[in-house]
Amino acid sequence: MADVLLVIFGVSLLFASITNMLSGIVKILVWQGLILFLLTILKTTQLNLWEFAFVALETIVFKAILIPWFIQDTINKNGIIREVEPSVSNFFSLGVMTAIFAFGFFIALWSGKSSPKLYPLHFGIAFSAILKGLFIIIANKKLITHLMGYLIMENGIFLLSLAIGSDMPHIVSLGVSLDIMLSILIAVLFINKISSTFQEGDSDELSILKD
Amino acid sequence: MLYLYIWLFPILAGALSWLLKSEKLNKLLILIHSVIHLGFGLALFFPGRRLSAALNIDNYSVWFFAVSALLYFAVAIYTLQQDQRLSPRQSSIYAVCLMAFVASMDGANLSRDLGLIWVFVETTTLASAMLISFEHHKQSLEAAWKYLFICSIGIALAFMGILLLIIAQPATPSLSLDRIIQRGYWINSFWLKLSFVFMLIGFGTKVGLAPMHFWLPDAHSEAPAGISALLSGALLNTALLPLLRMQKVLSAAQLGYLASQLFIALGLASLFVAAVFILKVKNYKRLLAYSSIENMGIILIAFALGDLAGKAGLIHTLGHSLIKAAFFLSAGNLYSLYKAKDYNRCSGLLSRDPNTGWLWLICFVFIIGMPPSPLFFSELYIALGLLASGNYFVLALWFILLASIVYGLGKASLEICMGYSEEKTRLPFSQYLPQAMLLLLAVAVPIAVLLLRP
Repeated sequence: MADVLLVIFGVSLLFASITNMLSGIVKILVWQGLILFLLTILKTTQLNLWEFAFVALETIVFKAILIPWFIQDTINKNGIIREVEPSVSNFFSLGVMTAIFAFGFFIALWSGKSSPKLYPLHFGIAFSAILKGLFIIIANKKLITHLMGYLIMENGIFLLSLAIGSDMPHIVSLGVSLDIMLSILIAVLFINKISSTFQEGDSDELSILKD
Repeated sequence: MLYLYIWLFPILAGALSWLLKSEKLNKLLILIHSVIHLGFGLALFFPGRRLSAALNIDNYSVWFFAVSALLYFAVAIYTLQQDQRLSPRQSSIYAVCLMAFVASMDGANLSRDLGLIWVFVETTTLASAMLISFEHHKQSLEAAWKYLFICSIGIALAFMGILLLIIAQPATPSLSLDRIIQRGYWINSFWLKLSFVFMLIGFGTKVGLAPMHFWLPDAHSEAPAGISALLSGALLNTALLPLLRMQKVLSAAQLGYLASQLFIALGLASLFVAAVFILKVKNYKRLLAYSSIENMGIILIAFALGDLAGKAGLIHTLGHSLIKAAFFLSAGNLYSLYKAKDYNRCSGLLSRDPNTGWLWLICFVFIIGMPPSPLFFSELYIALGLLASGNYFVLALWFILLASIVYGLGKASLEICMGYSEEKTRLPFSQYLPQAMLLLLAVAVPIAVLLLRP
C-alpha cells in the first residue's frame, strides 16, 4: 500500500511538469497532503492519540486543506488570469523531471548500499520532490507558482523525514511544523501584500532593488 | 530550562506591549530587555566562566552571545530618542518582533543541539521578515519578500542536511553536537559529506555567502537602521555558528579538509562578489551590506585555516560586528539628515553634522582594517595563516580584492564626508553615543580578552 502511495506521489510530480493550470498545481498539493497523512499512518509503528492528532493537523488540515484553499483564494481574489507562465516548455520540464527522478533513484541506490535502514523507493521520490520544488521555483515567473514550488519542496522534506522513520528525533517534527508556519507566513502576509502592491505578481516586477 | 528564561521576558513584555500599545513603553521594554541581555552576556564571561560552565555553554556560544548582547544594547539606546514615526500599533509590532528576533538568535547561539539551532535560526527569519518590511513601501516589501523566500529555501535545505546527518549516524542517531562529535569516527562519510554540503548551502544562504547572497543587500538596505545593524552584526554570526559546529563534526570524522576547502572557495567567491559590487553601487547602505558579505568571506577563510588564524577569525567576528553595527547606525543618521540613500546626494556631512561625519570616517578607517582596528590584527594573522599553509594564490587574490573594496568604500566615504553644506543639523545625543561606544569597545575588548586570558 505504501509503495502505491509513493508511486502516486511520484506521478503527481510528473503531472506538475505538464500542467499549465494554477488550479492543477493546487490540486496536486491537496493530493500530496492526503498521501503524506496516509504514509505517516502506515509508516509509523506506534502512534498515540496525541501524535495522531498532530500528524493529522500538519498534513490534512494545513497541507491538504488550509494552504491550498488560501492559494486558490488568492488566485481568485487577485484575478490572476494568466496561468503558470513557465520560462521553459512543458516538454523540457518533463525531461528535467525525468532526469531528476533518475538522479533521485541513483542517490537512492547509494542509500540502499550504505544505509540499509533506508528504503530506496521512498528516498528516491522524496529527494526528487525536493529537487522538483526547486526547479519549479527557478523555472517560473509567478510568485504564487514560486510559493507552490516551495510547498512541493516542503512536502519532499516531510517525505524524507518519514523515510528516517522511528529514528527521527522529536525535534524534526518541530522543524516540520515550523516550516508549515513559515509557508503560512509567506502565503498569508506576503503574497497578499505583494499582489496588492505589484500588479502582475511576477518575479520580473520585483526588480526595483538591483545593482 | 535555559530557553524558557531566554523567552520569558520577550513573551511577558510582548504581551504587555500588545495590550498597552504605547511607544514610550515599547522603547523602555526594549531597553530593559537589552540590559538583562547584556547582564547575562557579562555573567557568562565573568568571573571565571562559572555560569557558562554550569549551563554547559561553550566558548563559541559565549563569544557570539556577548557580541549580540552588545549590539542589542547599542540599538536599544539608539532607538530611544529616534523619531520612528510609528503608530502605537506599529510600535508594538516592532517591539514584539525585535524581542522575538533577539531571543531566537540567543537560542541559536547558546544551543548545542543541531535541531534546536535550526529551529531558532528559522524563527529568526519569521521575526525579522516583519522588521524588514516595516516601512511598507514597494522597496521594503520587495526586500522582505526576497529575504523571506530565499532564506526559507536555504533553511529548508539546511533541514535536509540535518535529516541526512541523521541517516549518516550508525545507530540511535542524535542531533546533540557532543554526541555526534564523540562518535565521529563511525559516521558514514558519504552521507556526512552530503549533509555538510546541504547545510553549507542552507545556513550559508542566511550568512549571505556568495552566490546565495542576493537577499542580503536588499534586506540590509531597506530595513530601519537599528535592524540593519542587528542583521549584519548579529544575525550573520548566528547563521555562521552552525557551520563552525559542523566543521568540528567533519574534523571528528577525519573530513576536516573538505570543510576547509569549501570554506575557502565560498569565502573567496564572497570576496569577489563584494569587490565587484562595491565599485558599482551608489546606495551607501548597499555598500555596507556588500562589505558584510566581504567580511563573512574573510571569517570563513580564517576558520578554514584554523589554529591562530581561526582565533583571528573570532576577533574578526567581534570587530566586524561592532564596527558594522556602528556604521549602519551612522547610516541611519545620514538618512535622517539627507533623506536619500544615494551617496552622490549626501555630500558635506562633516560640515553639516560633524559628529556623524567623524563617526562615519572612523567607521570607514576601522572597517578597512587600519590600526587600531581589531580587523588589522585579525587580517594580519589570517594573511600569515595563508602564508604558512602555502595558499599563496588565495593570499594574492585576497589582497587584490581587498584593495578594490578599500577603494570603493573610500571613494564613497570621502564623497559623503567632504564638501560644504549650508545647513547645520544636530541629532539627539543617543544617536551618536551607541556608535562611539561600539567603536571604543571594538578596540578595547580584544585587548581586554588577551590580557585577561588565563
